[in-house]
Amino acid sequence: MNPEILKLARVLDVEPERLGYLSDVDVADLQLFREQVTTTLFDANLVVLERMALASRLLPAPVVAKIAEKVFGPLLCARIAALVDVWRGVDVAKRLSPEFLASVAAELDPRRATAIITRIPLDTVVAVAKELTRRADWITLGRFVGHLPDPTVRRSLDLVGDAGLLRTAYVLDDKSRIDHVLGLLPEDRLPRLIRAAAADETLWEPALDVLAHLGKARRAAVVPLLGELPDGLRSRAQATIN
Amino acid sequence: MAERTLAEQLGGPLPEGIEALPEEARLDLAAALRDARHRQAKALAKAGEDSLKYVPAVLRGAVRKAVGL
Repeated sequence: MNPEILKLARVLDVEPERLGYLSDVDVADLQLFREQVTTTLFDANLVVLERMALASRLLPAPVVAKIAEKVFGPLLCARIAALVDVWRGVDVAKRLSPEFLASVAAELDPRRATAIITRIPLDTVVAVAKELTRRADWITLGRFVGHLPDPTVRRSLDLVGDAGLLRTAYVLDDKSRIDHVLGLLPEDRLPRLIRAAAADETLWEPALDVLAHLGKARRAAVVPLLGELPDGLRSRAQATIN
Repeated sequence: MAERTLAEQLGGPLPEGIEALPEEARLDLAAALRDARHRQAKALAKAGEDSLKYVPAVLRGAVRKAVGL
């Protein structure tokens, strides 16, 4: 299914199948619509959320962390994260389990919480990336790639298998990042991705999408590998990178 | 009172591709957004009350005041 429909379904908390009528809508329009919906949901109840963020300053960080996990849950934590002081948010986040943080990440609008996300310790982010990989939550991984520092992206993507990396790239919000991100990874990763796609037909669309967003140098590096692809994929890959 | 349309809920014009959808689809999107907002508001109201149980007694009054409960 179109990754934009999957992402919108996530924001609205509905089954993606319900939104099947969006399949012919232009991807840019879907992306813009999802941003409108995200903004509307974040701004709804803003006054109450701001009061809660303010109240949290009165409490010690361990108490806030306990309330976050036991009462607020991932959705409300994601809403409030954008409103709390950066260092306070980082202090609380460090006390939360990777499992809970992964659920918060799934609800978070990374654009609104960049200051916190980029200051969370590397080991914590890597633990969250590991949990998201275990859940096969490529949408959330993909949404964060554009907002994390390069060393964090590199460490996190080391944990993601080749199939997972292709699926993550397929749902990236900012496809112009694909070439840059591949440049952060070891040289043998690109050939491995090509081989993973060759072995699994469900990875063909994601792989072709990745190829379409490669820079000139990396496209040239792919050419010698095309011979390893099955016929149906090879011709499409050739057409994509030429 | 009539329910707010999708554009009214979003506070601005819809992207062309969404505007061009059949009315039934736009009504479904409006309903999905309305439901998501209601769920969020309900969860917030409950969280405000429930979280007080974890607040040390000495701070409960100040927290109540800050949250507006």
